[in-house]
Amino acid sequence: MALFDNILHRPRFPKFLDIVSRKLDDECVELLDGLLRNGRLTLQQMADRASEGKGQSVVCFGSGNHQGYTVTGMVQENPVAIDVVRETLRKLLAARYVERCPAPEPVLFPVVEETTTRKRGARAAKIFQPPLTIEERVLEASVPGESIRFSLTADTGFNADGETNSDDCPMTSAEDVVKEELTPWRANFEEFMRHLRHKALIENVRTRLDEGAATILSAILDATRTAEKKVKVQNSVPLSLEAIFTEVVKSENGRTMTIDRVKASLVQLGCPSRMPDDSYTIDLKNIIELARNDEVESIVLKRYGPYAYRMFRLLSKANCFLETDKIAESTLVEKKEAPKLLYGLWKDNYLHMEKLQVMASKQSRFVMWKVNKPLLWDYVLNEMYHAALNLNLRLGLEQEKDGELLSVPLDKINESKSLQKKFERRRRVRLLLGSSLMKLDDALMLFHDF
Amino acid sequence: MNGGNKRKRQDMALAVSDSLSNEERIVYNIIRSKENMGIWSGDIKRETTIPENIFKKALKSLEAKQFIKQVVNIQNKARKLFMATEFQPSKEITGGDWYSDGKLDIEFIDTLKQLSLGYLSRQKVATVDMVLKFFKESGAFTVDVSNQNLEEILKTLVLDDKVSEVKSTGFDDFAGVPLGRVCYRIKSKVGGVREEKVGAMASIPCGVCPRINFCTPDGVVSPKNCVYYDKWLDF
Repeated sequence: MALFDNILHRPRFPKFLDIVSRKLDDECVELLDGLLRNGRLTLQQMADRASEGKGQSVVCFGSGNHQGYTVTGMVQENPVAIDVVRETLRKLLAARYVERCPAPEPVLFPVVEETTTRKRGARAAKIFQPPLTIEERVLEASVPGESIRFSLTADTGFNADGETNSDDCPMTSAEDVVKEELTPWRANFEEFMRHLRHKALIENVRTRLDEGAATILSAILDATRTAEKKVKVQNSVPLSLEAIFTEVVKSENGRTMTIDRVKASLVQLGCPSRMPDDSYTIDLKNIIELARNDEVESIVLKRYGPYAYRMFRLLSKANCFLETDKIAESTLVEKKEAPKLLYGLWKDNYLHMEKLQVMASKQSRFVMWKVNKPLLWDYVLNEMYHAALNLNLRLGLEQEKDGELLSVPLDKINESKSLQKKFERRRRVRLLLGSSLMKLDDALMLFHDF
Repeated sequence: MNGGNKRKRQDMALAVSDSLSNEERIVYNIIRSKENMGIWSGDIKRETTIPENIFKKALKSLEAKQFIKQVVNIQNKARKLFMATEFQPSKEITGGDWYSDGKLDIEFIDTLKQLSLGYLSRQKVATVDMVLKFFKESGAFTVDVSNQNLEEILKTLVLDDKVSEVKSTGFDDFAGVPLGRVCYRIKSKVGGVREEKVGAMASIPCGVCPRINFCTPDGVVSPKNCVYYDKWLDF
């Protein structure tokens, strides 16, 4: 089974390493780098790899090359003790950046179809969710329980050969150690995506509202990070005002905040009334939606101009069908120009259009327009994938074009002005294309993963 | 006001009946019956049996005597409408307050927008009435700007993402503004100049490319031979 999301995560590895380097030490970064390069490693393999890194300075971590990497059979000049590696792994597990590899053959229970007539009706229809695909069910079933997933020494309940332990056959500590050394570990992409989602949410609130609201949101998300069941949670995990306040004053920016200021920021964040159990929750989905709107509107402004932008924003805010003349009147756009601009947006799939014929005293035909957000977001996401492919192709072409420059000795480049110019251009092109790709990837995550 | 208009119209009708020829009277009555909606010459002709040359003469004569006038129709500028002089063209014909001679008065709209932005950037928050008061006191306009007109202007500024619409809380910046009243606030500024939000897609050539749907890796339009990319990477 191919996990396309995991393939898409590959260019994000530098981002994941950066997250760890900001929160943990260099050893953790090196260990994670090994896991990202190899996919999965046992404790022994991690120790071998760390020893090899110390012994041979030629093999470097974080070089940006993520190709396969063999760790067995290398000369260990300065071996790293397995206990040191175990300690590093423990830190990564505590932060949930690494997880135990899931069970190889998960057991899938048959889906029970609920066909009772009592559940049918308006309420049941409202909360209808499409059934999980077989791939999604397999992934769900294979994830070990929280306590096993992030625990270094947890008893998984299975022997090395896959048989279930029985109560009358307790494992010896020697078996335990052997099993621990054989357990494969891997990077936990879910936690990295959660971290990036939180970062995007906080940044968006900072620009949309203010520093105070961003501090409150950051404190809430930090406090409830481990309680989130999945990455795309719709609302933040409920938290009491006291708990929020305690978290806020712990942070650097929130040290001087009063409880009234915290309350005011919670109102800004859209949760003016407390829930019945005296807790607050923030609509995270709404923040993501606003960020997506910003991205799409920015494309509309650049591609179709300020008048189309104004009309698009009117329709996006209204979230219902509006008639051409009504749109022109509300946006102060020339009535003759409005249909042309709207038609242009419709032709490129940015708007949905319906023609309406009314037979009253005289026959009239109206053209109605609407922004169909879910469809549009899918379309924009596809355009983004296309754009990312284009950036990659162009980056490859540019590298190929000036490839011979790499073989020219440095003193020769310094002598020739034209070579210097070429070298400088190559550097700037790579920088621009690379940074654009990273920025575009943030937008891709906004539409696909958040 | 309505009674005065009625009397005026009755006087006009009497004056008309005395001074017009038969054909002129027929044409005039058709035009007048359409009140503030006006009527196109082709449609008048269809309602009468008057020969072409006499019909044209009647129209010219009525216009010269100032019983009728020509008005531009926003829906179809080529088809000018005839209307009795005592009526003012309806909103459907003129396009509304922002239209003058069948054209959207962009210059006037832009001036109002600039002045509103200037005022809002000096104030923390302001209601429509506050902006209107500023306009009246500044004496910048000889034309009357209504409360509704100004609200439309401020709403377009919101759609342009230059101004945000907020409700008064009655505290801090809103002190002096009744609770719940709709206010307008200029969007946050960074270093005195408003930071333009440019998305990831909009900052690369593909985001603004009109030919993106024709672009394929080895096609006629491709990132390898793209003119927009060439221009973008021209250091």
